[in-house]
Amino acid sequence: MSDDDSVRTRAERGPERRGAATDNMSDRTMDAEQPEREPERGERGGLVPGIFKGLATTARAMVTPSHTAEYPDVLPDLPPRSRGTIALLEENCTSCMLCARECPDWCIYIDSHKETLPATTEGGRERQRNVLDRFGIDFSLCMYCGICIEVCPFDALFWSPEFEYAETDIRDMLHEKDRLGEWMATVPPPPALDPGAADAAEVTALSKPVRPGRATPPAGRP
Amino acid sequence: MSLLEVVVRSVVVLAAFLVLPLLVGQTEHKVMAHMQGRLGPMYAGGFHGWAQLVADGVKFAQKEDVTPREADRWVFRLAPAVSLVAYLVALSVLPLTSGVVGADVGAGVLFVLAAMAVGILGPLMAGWASANKYSLLGGMRAAAQLLSYELPMVLAAASVALAAGTLSLSGIVEQWHPLWLVWQLPGAVVFLVAAVAELQRVPFDMPMADSEIVFGPLTEYTGLRFAFFLLAEYAGIVVMSLLFTVLFLGGWQGPFAAALGWLWTLVKASAVAFVVIWFRVAWPRLREDQLQRLAWLVLVPLGLAQLAITGVWVVLTT
Amino acid sequence: MTTLDVLFTAVGVIAAASAVLSVTTRHVVHAALWLVVTLGTLAGCYLVLGAELIALVQVLIYVGAVVVLVLFALMLTRAPVGPSAEHDTGPVQRVAAAVVAAGTTALLAGVLLAALGGRTVQIHGGSTTELATQLFGRWVWPFELLSVLLLVSLVAALAISRLRADPDSEVRS
Repeated sequence: MSDDDSVRTRAERGPERRGAATDNMSDRTMDAEQPEREPERGERGGLVPGIFKGLATTARAMVTPSHTAEYPDVLPDLPPRSRGTIALLEENCTSCMLCARECPDWCIYIDSHKETLPATTEGGRERQRNVLDRFGIDFSLCMYCGICIEVCPFDALFWSPEFEYAETDIRDMLHEKDRLGEWMATVPPPPALDPGAADAAEVTALSKPVRPGRATPPAGRP
Repeated sequence: MSLLEVVVRSVVVLAAFLVLPLLVGQTEHKVMAHMQGRLGPMYAGGFHGWAQLVADGVKFAQKEDVTPREADRWVFRLAPAVSLVAYLVALSVLPLTSGVVGADVGAGVLFVLAAMAVGILGPLMAGWASANKYSLLGGMRAAAQLLSYELPMVLAAASVALAAGTLSLSGIVEQWHPLWLVWQLPGAVVFLVAAVAELQRVPFDMPMADSEIVFGPLTEYTGLRFAFFLLAEYAGIVVMSLLFTVLFLGGWQGPFAAALGWLWTLVKASAVAFVVIWFRVAWPRLREDQLQRLAWLVLVPLGLAQLAITGVWVVLTT
Repeated sequence: MTTLDVLFTAVGVIAAASAVLSVTTRHVVHAALWLVVTLGTLAGCYLVLGAELIALVQVLIYVGAVVVLVLFALMLTRAPVGPSAEHDTGPVQRVAAAVVAAGTTALLAGVLLAALGGRTVQIHGGSTTELATQLFGRWVWPFELLSVLLLVSLVAALAISRLRADPDSEVRS
């Protein structure tokens, strides 16, 4: 059979060609990629067993149930850390703009204004607070890097596995805070820690023995 | 044969010609999908995508029928018809069971082979008339391949005809004996390989090798004409499977042949068609020179040897 | 006039017309395709005359193999889409060809008419068995001689193609 012949001739020709053509760059790279020794016939299995091997493999695959996820009918079971979309917990946002500034794509739009709160006690000082007017993420620009979620100091942004928000127009991909807030409902609880993992930072902090010196405010502080 | 009978026979053959290739095509969709760990079409028609090919047909009918400006218009437009009609004609003489056949031709084996030989012209005309270099390459590959493989195929068929002592397809089936499975085995293998090559199916799909020459002779085709070429391919599988069944597997012979003969033929032919599909999934494409070597150095000598064995046997036993 | 007469006339007219088109067309590939029509309709003529096997062999060998080979050779060399003037023949050759064709037609017509006249010949021997008996019984020596001729030409073709090969480069196996 044709394949047998070509295999044999290549095996016979192999060593001398390798020795003769050391100055040939392409040959050397080819040899580097190839295994040092041409496989023997028995290892390869030969042409005829190979043919039947192919048939057997496909036949086995045919009777094995496929793992196809029939998506629109059966929703996928996504892990909690899936980067589907970014949800906003508005109450936590202080309009600090860290997310917008860190965003590599500049796809976060934040508008806010300052609001003056009257003093709670008589003669007290009036307090000022940032009020979020607009929080928009343009998902046509977003590259789902998650830096905004990382940098948010107040845990206002979360990954959500929700991914079905395709639009027919790219301009409709800019989602405002009400839509981002709706996605908070799809944010799963954080996954349980791996066995043997270190405790979460908050737990570690709480379980530390209270240092006596910190119980009272330091003297120099107003 | 009255006019009514002629009409009825023609309509039945035409219906079989339109339905059986679709069945084979659908089987290929599903079998190939499952062999590759997929599910295949699941939506068209509701139940496991049974109407996928009907939907494909509707889609093809809606597409624009483009004829390239540089193309040879008439030849370009005629090519799909040549491919298709050849297989339709071949199908009309293949017997389903004893006495059930579109048209009973005395030299049925020759008739089928001759009809399919005409069908070769389809890809050739398409390849040349498209005025596209990939089409032309595909057409040339098709011509070289079909010329090479026609010879072993005719040799294998001749061996069976010699063993049966007749060229009639029904006569061959009636002469068939289970022992043929053994001593006509080389011929059967040669015929099957040559048939797959004649159909230009994997592993002999160099004329259409989509990773090398786009789609060979079909590169420039769109819409219904393209669909006709595809239909011709699957009709070819049907014709080849039936022919293989009749020549080598004993057609309608089997238990309860009197009542269930047609079922036996269909079951055997389906098995052959399944094997053809299976080859497509399991094996890679041969190289062009390997194709020619296989034909001339393996199949032709094997076919000649089978013919010699059959001849000696026939002379000794009669 | 019977149905067969009508059929024969129709097939014959198509065969003759396509033969004329085959030699007059300026498209090289069209000539080969018209040749397909000619040979196919010639097979139809045989079929009408009751020689089923000859008709089928005609289609199988001439349409299926010879013309495919011709087309293959055309595509391999030069086969432009559209008329090509470079393959045209000069007026002298055309006249000569016409004269030869007319002469052959006249000769054949004369011989056949003289031999058969207006007599109707009963057709027999169309079946495969009878044909085989004739071919391998009465005509076995011409048949075998033809086989030897074909074999000789086959070997000669092989020898020519091997001779022309560059002696430096071995014929690739």
